[in-house]
Amino acid sequence: MHSHVDAGPAPAGAAGPRRLDRLGLAMRASHLLFGFLALTCLIFAALAWRTGDVFYLRLATEALIFAGLALSVDILLGYTGLLSLGQALYFGLGAYASAVTLKAGYPVSGALGAAFGLSLAASLVGGLIVSRVRGVYFALITFGLAQVAAKAVYNTRELGASDGLIGVPVMPIHLGVATVSSDSPVGFFLFTLAFMAVLYGAVAYLLDTPFGRVLIALKANERRVPYLGYRPERARLAAYVLAAIVAALSGALYPMLRGFVSPELLSFTTSGNAVITVVTGGAGTLVGAFYGSLILTALRSVVGSWTSHHLIVIGLLFMAVVVLFPKGLAGFARSWVEDRFARTGSL
Amino acid sequence: MTRITTTTFAMLASVALAPLALAQTGPIKIGVDTPLSGTYAPIGQQVRWGLELAAKEVNAKGGIAGRPVQLIFEDEEANPSVAVQKADKLFQVDKVDFLTGTVNSGSTLAVGQIAERTNKLMATTVSFADSITADKCSPNVFRVNARAEQQSSALAAWLMKTNPDPKVYLLGPDYEMGRSTVAAFQAGVKSRGGTILGEVFAPLDSKDYSQYFGQIRAARPQVLYTSTAGNDTVRLLTQMQDFGLLTNLLVVGASGTVTSQNIGAIGSAANGFATGVGYSPEIPTAENKTFVDAFRAAYKADPDLYGADSYGLIYFYKAAVEKAGSTETDKVRTAMRDLQWDTPQGRKTMRAGDHQAVQTMYVVRVDNGKFAINAEVAGDQAIGPDLCTRF
Repeated sequence: MHSHVDAGPAPAGAAGPRRLDRLGLAMRASHLLFGFLALTCLIFAALAWRTGDVFYLRLATEALIFAGLALSVDILLGYTGLLSLGQALYFGLGAYASAVTLKAGYPVSGALGAAFGLSLAASLVGGLIVSRVRGVYFALITFGLAQVAAKAVYNTRELGASDGLIGVPVMPIHLGVATVSSDSPVGFFLFTLAFMAVLYGAVAYLLDTPFGRVLIALKANERRVPYLGYRPERARLAAYVLAAIVAALSGALYPMLRGFVSPELLSFTTSGNAVITVVTGGAGTLVGAFYGSLILTALRSVVGSWTSHHLIVIGLLFMAVVVLFPKGLAGFARSWVEDRFARTGSL
Repeated sequence: MTRITTTTFAMLASVALAPLALAQTGPIKIGVDTPLSGTYAPIGQQVRWGLELAAKEVNAKGGIAGRPVQLIFEDEEANPSVAVQKADKLFQVDKVDFLTGTVNSGSTLAVGQIAERTNKLMATTVSFADSITADKCSPNVFRVNARAEQQSSALAAWLMKTNPDPKVYLLGPDYEMGRSTVAAFQAGVKSRGGTILGEVFAPLDSKDYSQYFGQIRAARPQVLYTSTAGNDTVRLLTQMQDFGLLTNLLVVGASGTVTSQNIGAIGSAANGFATGVGYSPEIPTAENKTFVDAFRAAYKADPDLYGADSYGLIYFYKAAVEKAGSTETDKVRTAMRDLQWDTPQGRKTMRAGDHQAVQTMYVVRVDNGKFAINAEVAGDQAIGPDLCTRF
């Protein structure tokens, strides 16, 4: 399904600092696509700001936040070959941690810190269980863990139970050079875009290191990985923790945007949507999570206003994408960019 | 230079004012943010029917203050995240004057906050969580339907009137909603001088309730209150019937315990079951008969409480806008406070202190597989104290 996985090592003698193997080339292509996406977002922001728009800016901000969740799914699904059906657990954990922290009067940095710390601790515990299994068992256990957490939140009165928590205050975000308010549509959109660029950059960097190659090896043939001197459980645990932190940091932005959290954020719908987003955008491309989320969010909004049978329409489109673009939309675009890179030598 | 500036200013002003002038003469837009797909779709359907029927009637008689009513629907999927996104669209893109439709309490609370931050007004016609007009009240949120406390208070008041000093046992499903409904009814009975013999909570989706029958029998209650729902009620009541526990026992419960969906499966074990509700198609008034006939003629279905309360909402908004002489938020809010308006359930009053509608409540009992109105409870006897401290 993903050509770069099957790609052999770089040709002998081609190991110069500027020559890239297929995986490095693919990553370069992803970076280029991300740059294009960021540029499009900036043009959109300028246009929306000029016309005084509020709704589309907030919708795009939400799409970027859910792209962060999809990115975390891609670390597991696209790189490590593990289907997580419960990634909303960490997204919701980050959202609730952020909401509670902000409501207690702490600044945005405190909210992000709380989301990071809690997700690190929770994913280490959860990871001890799930890193021992793979395949369908991994999917089932992640699904089960998320359901348990969702039910627990649903019944905890201190966390607002089924009603969720409202009244998350509007917060100023201090960035050193500038301060943006979380209720400024364009300001918070740009902050979220920058935040997601950092997340994408960090994840892409980590996955381009030997650690990333071990994850890809796990996906390709796990039985051979011990012969290379790596322990599959540890690599799997690391991937799981990394994905959890990415999901939680993305989730932490949600209450800043919408001012509330609810147990539905931890539901299977949220996890399932993230998987659909990654598959549509292109698993194993990282950037596909962003394209997938922006396109699907826009489609859902437009089709949802047009007909109440929007789920059928979205479902048919999803099936069409899977059949016509098995690598996903960004995966398709990336192959094209990769070929151009390969022909012109390097970037 | 000055001339150019003046001209530019005049142009800008005319551009800025044009939509405003248009807004005062064009249709009055009401956004409906309600579940049209998924589990709650049947409720959203009733909301839609009720609103559309009332809008049609109002438009046929000249609209609201001479302006036609336009309803704009969005599917909120009973998910607060979606509801908030759709509410944002209705307010920002469609520029609706008023918002309604949210069903689950989480959506109502989250959308209410959006309304407050956008300085618009909204009302729910379905959500019954007490918090919406109590500790989490908002100056921009109104509720035209009865809240949970009104339902349980009406039931408790009726219970005390029919048998003084009842000995009550409580059995609830073991989750947040189950525990809060049991606590509310318990408080209602105690404050009126009744006796609570004990309470027990069974897990959701319990298959076997007989394990609780021993303690219930030993307590010798005259009344059993339960807030189970769906198939849980079917199993609870049929198993109690099998064990002979229903003889000389009055079973009462929450409004969602026995419904048209599970009453057939419960069979004769449902007979005598009583609950407090804000609406029943059986209400014997001329206004309700007209409403039910019009509803049946239009949609080939009976209205339920969601349809009736949503129908009444359009008349509530009409009365408020016509009293205010404007659709501006502050003026309409002032007009809505203490407003009295007519609905199929009779005259309702919007309490100014917490934006909760006060209305006559009804106790309905199952008689041969069908609900029949047993008693009326006056609005002031069922409405609890005003617990809203924000305005």
